[in-house]
Parts: sequence; C-alpha cells; structure tokens
Amino acid sequence: MEFELDEEQRMLRRTVRETVAKVRPQPEDRQWETYRSLGWLEAPPLELALILEELGYAADPTPFLATATWFAPLTGRLPEGSGTAVFDGVGRYVLEADRADEVALLTKGGVTVVPGADLGAQRVGILDPHVHVAHVDAQALSAGVPDLALTGLAATAVGACRRVLDLVLAHVKQRTQFGQVLGSFQAVKHKAADMHVAVERARALTHFSALTIAEDDPRRTKAAHMAKAAAGECQRLVFRHGLQLFGAMGFTWENELQLHLKRAQACDLLLGTASAHRKALLTA
Amino acid sequence: MKLADDPEVEEFRAQFSAFLDARLPTEAEARERSHSSAHVPDWARRWQRTLFEHGWLLPGQPPEYGGRGATLPQQLAHLEELARRRIYHSFNPQGLGIIAASLLTFGTEEQKTRWAVPILRAEITAALGMSEPEAGSDLASLRTRAVLDGDTFTVNGQKIWTSGAHDADVLLTFVRTDPGAPKHKGISALLIPTAAEGVVRRPFGSIAAEDDHDFNEVFLTDVRVPRENLVGPLNAGWRVANGSLGHERTLLWLSYAERLQDLVRDAGDAGAGQEWYATLLMDLTALRLLGHRQLGPNRNAAEISVLKLLGSEAVQSASLHALEAHGADALAHPARTGPYHHMHHEDFVSSWFERYARSFAGTIAGGTSEIQRNIIAERILGLPR
Ligand SMILES: Cc1cc2nc3c(=O)[nH]c(=O)nc-3n(C[C@H](O)[C@H](O)[C@H](O)COP(=O)(O)OP(=O)(O)OC[C@H]3O[C@@H](n4cnc5c(N)ncnc54)[C@H](O)[C@@H]3O)c2cc1C
Repeated sequence: MEFELDEEQRMLRRTVRETVAKVRPQPEDRQWETYRSLGWLEAPPLELALILEELGYAADPTPFLATATWFAPLTGRLPEGSGTAVFDGVGRYVLEADRADEVALLTKGGVTVVPGADLGAQRVGILDPHVHVAHVDAQALSAGVPDLALTGLAATAVGACRRVLDLVLAHVKQRTQFGQVLGSFQAVKHKAADMHVAVERARALTHFSALTIAEDDPRRTKAAHMAKAAAGECQRLVFRHGLQLFGAMGFTWENELQLHLKRAQACDLLLGTASAHRKALLTA
Repeated sequence: MKLADDPEVEEFRAQFSAFLDARLPTEAEARERSHSSAHVPDWARRWQRTLFEHGWLLPGQPPEYGGRGATLPQQLAHLEELARRRIYHSFNPQGLGIIAASLLTFGTEEQKTRWAVPILRAEITAALGMSEPEAGSDLASLRTRAVLDGDTFTVNGQKIWTSGAHDADVLLTFVRTDPGAPKHKGISALLIPTAAEGVVRRPFGSIAAEDDHDFNEVFLTDVRVPRENLVGPLNAGWRVANGSLGHERTLLWLSYAERLQDLVRDAGDAGAGQEWYATLLMDLTALRLLGHRQLGPNRNAAEISVLKLLGSEAVQSASLHALEAHGADALAHPARTGPYHHMHHEDFVSSWFERYARSFAGTIAGGTSEIQRNIIAERILGLPR
C-alpha cells in the first residue's frame, strides 16, 4: 500500500484551499457556480474527499456535499443543477431536500428521480445555520446508504475539526493569562495533542474509505463505517476540548468557532452517529 | 495513493516467505524458552545467525551487516511477514534494534566489527543503560559519571530498568563526561562489558511476577573502560541517544500494530458485537495507514510520536476492555489467552490481567504518553516549550 498523497493530489488540495478561501465570502449561489464550473463535482472519490475536507474547513453553505455524495452515487450521474437523495428508508433530515433541483428516491422498486420542486419537502430548523435539511414525505422508501455518502460526511467533519483545532491553536498562542500564553500550560497542550491525533486518525480512515471506493475494494463498506465512526469520535473530542479551551469567547455567536463546532456535530448526527457505525462495522 | 504494494515489495515478501518456509526452526528444536530480553537460547542464536547470513536479519543494511540494501517499504514487508507468522527474528530486541543499529550509525569500523557484528550474529547479547533512579523522562539529567584519564574512563554511578542486563554481555550506557557543560552537552555513549570489574547487576521482578526477571539495577563502581569503547565523539552522547531511540523508530509502530492484531485475534469472542471491538479494528487500521504514510518522502520525525501515542494507548484500552469482558475469569493466572507459537514468546500463557498490566510498558517505556503529547504539542502544533 502507498498512503501518501501524490504531487497532483497535493496540488489539488492547495488549489481547493486557496479557491475556497477566496470564494467563501461571496454570495452562496456564486460559490456554488464557481465549484460547479471548476468540475469539482466530477472528482473521483479520493480527490472528492480532499475537496470536501476543505469545504468542511470553510463551513460550506452550498449543496455540494449532497450533490456529489448523495445524489451522484445513487443515480450514477450528476444532476441538472443541484441534487440530493433519500436512501435511509425514512426521509427525515435529508440534506438539501427543500431546495435541490433533483431528488433521487431509493424506493422498493428501485431509484426514481423527481424534480425537487414537486417533492414538497419541509425544511427543518437546526442549530447549524448553514446546513439545509428537510423532511420528505414519500411512499415505499427503502434503505441503502451509499458508501460515498458516509465518506463525504466524514471528510466534511474532518475539515470542520481541523478548523476548530486551527482556531484553538491560534487562540492559545495569543491569549495570555497568569502572565503566560495559554498554550504554555500543559493541560492545554495535552488537549491540543489529543485533538491532533484524533484528526489524523479520522482523516486516515476517511482517505482509506475513499481509496477503497475508488478501487472498488471488497473492504469498502467496512471502511466507510470506520471513516464515519472515526470522524464522529473525532468531533466529540474536538468539540469538547475546542469549546472548553476558548473559554467564554467560544460561547458567543460572533466567534466563528460555533459554526465549525456545529458543522462537525451535524456530520456525526446525520446518517448515524459514531456509535451506530461502530456497531455496523461489526456486522458489515 | 494505492492499496496494492509495488511489485518489488511483493517480490521481496515472496522471497522472504519462501526462505521462512524452508529455514524456520521446528517446534522440537525451539523448545527452550528465552527468559529475559537478553537471554537467547542456543537454537535462537543459530536462527538469528541464519537470518544474518542470508541477509534477512536487518534487510535495510548491507550484506556485511545482515541485510540486502532493502528499501523502507521492503523493510516494512519483512517485519509484517514476521509478525503475521508470529516469529521473532531476535530474542535480544534491544541488542538488535537499538544497540547494534546505533553502532552501525555512530560506531567506528573497529566497533562495528568488534561489537555490532557479534550482536547481530547473536554471539553476544546487549542491554541498554539509559535510565537512572533520578533520570527517567528527563534522561538528560543523568548522573553516572565517567572520567577520562589517558586512554581509560573510570565510571561510577547507577542505572536502573536495564532490561536483560543480567543476561547481557555488554551494555550501551549513557554517562556524564562533562559535568560543567549544559546537561545535554556533557553526555557520552560508552560500551561497558558486563564482565568488567566493578559492574554489579541485580535483576528484580516485574509487575507480572516476583521471578519475572528482566528489569535490573546496575551498579557501576570504579569501572575501567578503554577509550576505544566511546561511541560517537566525546560529549556527543545526546545525539547518539536520540539516534538510538530514533533507530528503527520509523517502524516501531509495527510492534503496536502486532499487539493490536493479537488482540483482534484473542479477544474476538469476548468482543463479539461490542463497540470497543470495533474501536480496536479502527485503531489497528488507522495505525497501519498512518505508519505507511511515514514511508514516503514527506516523513516528519515528530509524527512518530503520533504513532506511538495512538498505538500504545490503543493497545492499553483494548486490553482493558478484553479484561473487563472476561469478568472474574480474567483473574485466573497463568491462563492461556492466545495460541502457542514456538517462535513467539508472548501472550499465550498470560492472563488477561497480565496482558493489561503489561500494556503499560508501551505507554511508559521509550518516552511516556505524556512526553509524546508534549512533543506533538510543541514540535507539530507549535505551542511554546
Ligand atoms: C518495561 C520497561 C522496560 C524498560 N527498559 C529499559 C531499558 O532497557 N533501559 C533503560 O534505560 N530504561 C528502560 N526503561 C525505563 C524507561 O525508559 C523509563 O521508565 C521512562 O523513560 C520513564 O521514566 P520513569 O519511569 O522514571 O518515569 P518518570 O519520568 O518519573 O515519570 C513518571 C510520570 O510522570 C510523568 N512525567 C514526567 N515528566 C513529565 C513532563 N515533563 N510532563 C508531563 N508528565 C511528565 C510521566 O509521563 C509519568 O506518567 C524501561 C521501562 C519499562 C516500563
């Protein structure tokens, strides 16, 4: 096995990072248009995971995740405009269901695609202001979550966790108490070190999952459960230490930390928490 | 990134595998057990020598030192193959992995011939004398004093925890040669034969049993050591120490992966349907993935701390879960908790209780988990020292 990004993949990551940083302050539809026009939706699984990590890092508000990792694997194509899919057999908390142009439904009779406008999905308010979820009322739904959908949420969560860690590091290197920067206290250092290890572990398992999908390796479903579970475990630790180390500043609306904490937590709660995927791993 | 190994790694693995099929000692030959990390039964000495002579002992080295100039991914394949088949290539792991390896990096040609080759050929065994009663994590505060007079050092002091010292022929010690210099700059590395006058070794029991003798106190009283036993330049011992600990450290994570793999095998029944068992599978997979990442050109020495922390803590946590899953049955001791293999001396007669207790060797020896966290925070994340 070779487990290092090659030169092209590293370059892609750099480009994505720079582009997202530049585009993120623009209106949401402009961001979406840019990502579409760059062909990122067509990226193969590993490259897609790299892109999603960067979008997760930036608390991306566009329908990218649902289009690339929910709609596309279910239908085998990209939608006209944006897309999402219902594959949990229930139709609750479906990403983008209230505004996607096309929605794929996994039903007992197979996959059917309907225009989003005809679906009448009801958006549900949640704590993360940039995550769109809606309940779908449809008949004869069936369950079958694509591996890529789990990998996609995992990659997004890893990006969000990395952002939290970066914000924490910047904060504890700069804020002084008791005449020292916070980062010189060992209780702070050890929390940061544990966050780093958790991010590295989750990221490795996410890349592995993407790689097994790319190579259609027989371990791909196991790997997807591992990625989703590890990302969930990671966000649990990063949320707790990240908010704690910011002090009251992290408890405010104004500080952007909250956005990334919520994104990470939402990624864990959608399509099954870490615990659910640990259990699923044992029977996959 | 790709899942498959390169053809030259596959080829290498197949060659080694064929060699093992042809040359592995039989169960009857390998009856005598090793009872410390520097006690090597005769059959095991012959086995190590066979590996040396065929270039399968340390494949990364050139042929004169028991290797075949293998690449890092090939060296990994070598160790993986040994682990998969539960084979020890040496029953004096520090001698091979730390002391001989350090001599090959820092030693003179004479030292390589005189000490490294005999250790590699298992003609002699070696132990590592770093820690002292007052110098554990803070190794650089070590106080054992060596005074150079003409061509001879006179050494006085005490080492502790020196694994296998009572069965070893030679110790690689770290001693203070310049008490006036800043603490990292006054240390030298010195080979001390255990037969030298003034060396007293006192083995003592471990947490596992009073008569489980691997730990030693080593008392050094007016021990005279020829200058030619100095490894590396005078007062450059800190560099040798970091090299010693750095040696084979790139692949050190494999020993944790092997233990995790043992736990996957031995705790399968107790772990059926249990989430901790899933965590164990994830930890093992993640450790392997991150370990493979270390093989590439973008290696970062501090990342080894991530691997050690992740691996040793995962072993400990899974061992505790396995212990608890067995309830009061875990108390029975000795108990058979793993399959017997004649080339592998761990686990099979250890109770779950002992296995959990022993997992602390991983989180304490070779830099504690707390020290690894300090390294990650300071050298990777850039927090102030
Ligand atoms: C099984 C085993 C085999 C060994 N074999 C050898 C051998 O062959 N040769 C040899 O030389 N040594 C050997 N050692 C010794 C080993 O290297 C030391 O145990 C290790 O370096 C830690 O030192 P210590 O035990 O004195 O603990 P201490 O340094 O006293 O640490 C005690 C506790 O304090 C914590 N602590 C210390 N400093 C810090 C800090 N700066 N920040 C936060 N926490 C800190 C530690 O993490 C630990 O939890 C062995 C140890 C074991 C367990």
